[in-house]
Amino acid sequence: MVISLRRKNKHIGSHVVMCIWCLVVLFPIWVLLINSFKTRLTIYTNPFWVPEKWNFGNYSTVFKDGNFLLYFKNSLVVVVLSLALVLIVSSFASFALANWKGKASRRLYLFFIAGMMLPIKIASIKLLEIMRALGLLNTIWSLVPIYVAMGLPIGIFILTEFIREVPRDLTEAAIIDGSSYVRVFTTITIPLTRPALSTVAIYNLIPFWNDLWFPLIFINDEKQKTLLLGVTRLFGQYQTDWSKVLAVLTLSAIPVLALYLCMSKQFIQGVIAGAVKG
Amino acid sequence: MKKSSRFLIASFVLTLLIIPCLVAQGTQEQGSQKVVLTMGSWRTDDVEQMGRLLTEYKKIAPNVEIQFQPTNPPDYNATLRLQLDSKTGPDLMYARSYAAGQELFNAGYFADCTDIPGLMQNFTSSNLAPWRMPNGKMFAVPFAAVSHAVYYNKDIFKANGLAVPTTWEEFLAICDKLQKKGITPLANGVADEWDILECFFLGMLPDYVGGASERVKYESGEKKLNDSSFVAAYQAMADVAKYCPKGYESVTYNDSQVLFNTQKAAMFIDGSWTAGVYADATFNWGVFAIPAPKGRKTAICFHPDMAITMNTTTKHPAEAKAFLAWLCTKEGATTASKNLPSGYFPMINFEIKLDDVHANEFLALNSGKETDARFVWPALMDLYSPMNQAVIKVMKGQLTAQQAADSVAALKK
Amino acid sequence: MSKKKNSIIPHGNYWIIYVLPALLFYVVFMAWPLLDSLRLSLFTGNNIATRKFIGFGNFVRLFTEETSRARYWGAFVHTWYFFFIHMLVQNCLGILFAVILTNATMKGRQFYQTVIFIPTTFAVLVTGYLWKLLLNPVWCGDVLSKMHLSFLVRPWLGESTTALTCVALISCWQWMGIPTMMFVAALRNIPEDCIEAADIEGANAWQLFAHVKLPMILPVVGMIAILTFVNNFNAFDVVFATENVNGAPSYSTDLIGTLFYRVGIAGQHPIGIPDTGMGAAIATITFIVLLLGVLPVLKATQREQ
Repeated sequence: MVISLRRKNKHIGSHVVMCIWCLVVLFPIWVLLINSFKTRLTIYTNPFWVPEKWNFGNYSTVFKDGNFLLYFKNSLVVVVLSLALVLIVSSFASFALANWKGKASRRLYLFFIAGMMLPIKIASIKLLEIMRALGLLNTIWSLVPIYVAMGLPIGIFILTEFIREVPRDLTEAAIIDGSSYVRVFTTITIPLTRPALSTVAIYNLIPFWNDLWFPLIFINDEKQKTLLLGVTRLFGQYQTDWSKVLAVLTLSAIPVLALYLCMSKQFIQGVIAGAVKG
Repeated sequence: MKKSSRFLIASFVLTLLIIPCLVAQGTQEQGSQKVVLTMGSWRTDDVEQMGRLLTEYKKIAPNVEIQFQPTNPPDYNATLRLQLDSKTGPDLMYARSYAAGQELFNAGYFADCTDIPGLMQNFTSSNLAPWRMPNGKMFAVPFAAVSHAVYYNKDIFKANGLAVPTTWEEFLAICDKLQKKGITPLANGVADEWDILECFFLGMLPDYVGGASERVKYESGEKKLNDSSFVAAYQAMADVAKYCPKGYESVTYNDSQVLFNTQKAAMFIDGSWTAGVYADATFNWGVFAIPAPKGRKTAICFHPDMAITMNTTTKHPAEAKAFLAWLCTKEGATTASKNLPSGYFPMINFEIKLDDVHANEFLALNSGKETDARFVWPALMDLYSPMNQAVIKVMKGQLTAQQAADSVAALKK
Repeated sequence: MSKKKNSIIPHGNYWIIYVLPALLFYVVFMAWPLLDSLRLSLFTGNNIATRKFIGFGNFVRLFTEETSRARYWGAFVHTWYFFFIHMLVQNCLGILFAVILTNATMKGRQFYQTVIFIPTTFAVLVTGYLWKLLLNPVWCGDVLSKMHLSFLVRPWLGESTTALTCVALISCWQWMGIPTMMFVAALRNIPEDCIEAADIEGANAWQLFAHVKLPMILPVVGMIAILTFVNNFNAFDVVFATENVNGAPSYSTDLIGTLFYRVGIAGQHPIGIPDTGMGAAIATITFIVLLLGVLPVLKATQREQ
């Protein structure tokens, strides 16, 4: 009796806490949205409320000017390609590491996992030189290998664990029946690890899409810029139209946000995967 | 298999997306008789005007198309370097003056421009100086200079019976009067840091330390950077801080422009390049020179800002050189000036009349006054950051004027 | 771990082929550049042509030259403070939210969960710019004063005393979702029996948390501390968006990430000439600091398991 009463009280307190936090989260987003529909000077006269006159001009200007769709395409290509490569490469590696016994396997595993702890950014200067030597500098292709290298550690981390849990009997039965390991891999292991694969994809999606650092130092050509880098051009040093900036920010945030709202469960699952195994 | 079908779909979608990109790039490279040159710059605001200028050039050289591709100013240095290192740099580019440009010439990126016809003849020595190496070689063609002054709201001045000040003391008195009336006198802020130094402090400095002939004395060490003139200059900044907007510590350069544009602030000490922003202002505005204190002579900071140069690794050196040569002719320079963004002034010897009323207003300020480039640009760039921080600290009251001057003087090698 | 050695499964050489692609990407684009950056720190000069070996010269100069030393220690101290704020706000609030969200009888948890994670889907650049506008007294000052909230009208990002804290809080706002969700997962993993046992023994909510839940999620707390630590020592975007690359005002928001960018990649405005050797030296020190910080925590939490 006493316990349930206590729980009931906590709920009011909990709701208050959560509501306050939701306000803290949603208020800036509200500001972002409504101010993107105002004009350059009215965002100062009317900061918090809905615009008196809705101005869709900002959005249409952004689409017409600024290569916006091109940036979007570039980001899409880079992210999709990187994710695909991460999934393919790390699932092969994880399959091997999960099945291969021995010290070498364990050492390789730790070698890969170490990458989760160390930020690839500090190697930027050398990476610049490598990209220059490969002739990929100033193109979107310079980003793909970097993102793959970034995504591998977590990919191998999650997938190896998952594959280890695939029941031995299934794989062994298939091998006894005469399949090669490759067939076992593609026909049995992969389908069973589908949840882990989507976890890895989603976990890496946000950092790949939202990365500013590598596009900033690798890419300069207007036509090769990713979305986030491209929009910084609009934040010129001398002249910023805040309402247009906000429209641009909203457009840059929408892709991942929309994806998240549709698939929030999987997103959170992806993030959790790190914790549960850790 | 779900995974393989997912892959198929993904690769199909990928191909669909990549094709338009490739096609878009492809059409650009077609038309091989036409030569396409790219021009890099930090002026993301001037896309329209430069477009007009380059269209005019096309009338003269129909088979050459020059595309203006500016980069965001904070990123310009890093990204230009990147491009140049990877040999993907633009064919033509804006060159910064003095040390910044010299370094790129030494690294072999900027072409030697000394023998471009008309260059040495049609510019004064002092206009060529910012882009001249110590051994006399030119690494760029001077393009435009900028000026610094006080933008003021003529309507507010008229409504309050204020006249344009001729001394610094009069200027402070006007600020005081405006503040008592509840109007923010100055729009300047320090959040972006560079603007308070380049536009305000360095714009004002010639009033205190004199023109180019005095500046070299400081550079050689004959005069100290913490002498009474400098201390007076820092003190002036400290005095003016209370007339900046409340919360000026967070006011960015763009916020300042908005404050002036919405008439919330009566004056704004800024460079001439912002003139275009107020082109459609709903009020009357003008400019006056930052006045010197009583007993000193008002001087103008007229700063050679931009030059255009050629990439040593350009695939079309002849066409690039032709463009640069055009800029050295009277016709070319006149066309260029007519299409220059508001607030940029030609540096060539010929008499060129500008159409814009405000541009002429700026130029008129020069008459009868000594001019100089920004103090630290020619030889003391190392002191840019320390001076910047000193000015901000003195405004915030964290340092006295003497301490600020001393801190910068101590760093002079 | 101790699986039966099965004679059907082949050893070593066969598996190498599977691992090769991953190894290729990882070594060429991560391991080797990292190690080579360490090597670069022993040189001076900006490109291969002008490079000269100077041993530990860069390190010596970093710590003896007055301005370099001031900048480095400043950035170092600021980054630690940044991390401290994250641990305090982001991770403690994260645990609080997680405890609330795992309360089985509470309604609306799905909604709260979804909302908490929204900022994490934004790019740091987006949140940086957004908060730069929100914290700008010129933008909302008049309206706030009219609402009798003039104590809120301060140049938060312009005063060196408040700027770093604000930037750190903005970063916490952004990343709150991840630790919260991780703690939720960890709390859900706690076996029901433990909680029931504690309940039966009459433990109140606080005791339940402190003596049962917290110890059991300690490995996750350690993991998150490590991730936060690594993330903070690389923070760049948030300062880039809210202030500038110098760590204005007066270098008070200068972090190791911004220092590295300024020294090694972009060079000081407006000259823009980087010093790649020095930049690599800063990166090397960061690398060592990270190893020194991460390994002990990792060992400690692994033992917990």
